[in-house]
Amino acid sequence: MNRENLARTPKGLEIEGTVLECMRNATFQVELQNGHKVLAHISGKIRKNYIKILPFDRVLVELSPYDLTRGRILYRYRN
Amino acid sequence: MNSSLPPHSSGSTASTNSSSHDDTPQISRIGESRWEAVAGDRVVGSGDTSRRPDGRLFLSVDAWQTDVFDQLAAAMLADVGEPLHTVVDETDAELRACWQRAGFAVGRREWEFVLPTDPQVTGLDPARLPAGVTLVPAGQAEEGPLRALDRELRDEIGATVGWQAMPAEVLPLPPGVTVADPARYAVAVRDGAYVGLVRVALVTRRPRIGLLAVRAEHRGQGIGRALLAHALDTLHRAGTDSAWAEVQEPNTAALALVERAGARRVGGNLELVRR
Repeated sequence: MNRENLARTPKGLEIEGTVLECMRNATFQVELQNGHKVLAHISGKIRKNYIKILPFDRVLVELSPYDLTRGRILYRYRN
Repeated sequence: MNSSLPPHSSGSTASTNSSSHDDTPQISRIGESRWEAVAGDRVVGSGDTSRRPDGRLFLSVDAWQTDVFDQLAAAMLADVGEPLHTVVDETDAELRACWQRAGFAVGRREWEFVLPTDPQVTGLDPARLPAGVTLVPAGQAEEGPLRALDRELRDEIGATVGWQAMPAEVLPLPPGVTVADPARYAVAVRDGAYVGLVRVALVTRRPRIGLLAVRAEHRGQGIGRALLAHALDTLHRAGTDSAWAEVQEPNTAALALVERAGARRVGGNLELVRR
C-alpha cells in the first residue's frame, strides 16, 4: 500500500477517509485519502456513545497492523 | 502509552510477566479508565470504561485479535466491580461472542429505524389531531410545564437520571436536570395541560427522534401518533427526508407506530450485561 499520508503512531497507522457504504456485520467500506479502500469496524467508544456513521461521513481510521485492508473508525468528523 | 503512569498489574491471568516475548501482549492499566495491550513497541489493543450519570459502568475493548480482546477484558473485569454493561451491534457476531466469552449476556435489544418524513409516504396527516388536543411546536413550549411533564413521564417510566434502559438518552447534565434544550421539544396539550412530548435531536446529517412519550392516562388515543406526525412533517418542511429512531424490542406500541409510518429497520443494538 502507498503509505503517503499515513501517520505512524505507537497505536498504528491512522488516516482520514470517507465512508462509502454501510456493510453487513457492522462494518463500513471507507475510501482513504490515498485512494485505497478498507473495511472498517467502529471503535468501542463510538459504539458506546451511539455515534451514527453514514455514507459520505469523513472519518479517522486506524489501520490494522496485521491486514492493511482492515481498519477501525476512531473518529467521525463534523461535516 | 502514557509513560507517566506506572504499568499496573491487573492481578488477573490476563496480565503477562515482564520477561515475555515481544509478541506476547502485556496488559497494563494506564489510567483510571484505560487499559492497553502492548506487543513489542506497538499498542495492539485498548480498553476503556465510562460511568453514565445513572451509575452504570460501560466497557469497551478494541483489539485486532480475539485473544488480545480476551486478555484485555479479563484484566478489566479483575479491576472493576459489577454490574458491567457494554453495547454491540446486533449483526456483529464476532464482537458479541467475545463479550459472551467474558461472561456478558443480552440485557436489552433496541431496534434502529429510518423513518421517512414525507406525509405522503408516512401516511401521517399532521393536521389530524385527537379530540381536544392541540400541539405546541418546538421552541414555543413553556419551560416550566415542559420540565414538569418530563419529570412526570420519567416517574411513570421508573427512570432516574434518564431513560434507564436507553443509554443514549443518559446525557451528562447537572443533577436533577433532564431537559437539556427546551427549544427542541414539541408538546401535546389537552385541557390546558401538557400530556405528551417529542424531541428531535439534530445530529449529523440525519436528525433523530430522541424522545416520544405520552402520559399514561392519555396513551392509546392517537397523541403519540400526532406528535410523531408533527415532528416528521416539520423535518420534511425543512428539507430533511428521513430521521432516525430507536425503539426497544418490548415496546410493541412504539414498534407498531413507527412501522405503520413506513419506518425501515436498519439495525439493532444489544446492551450486554455482566452481573
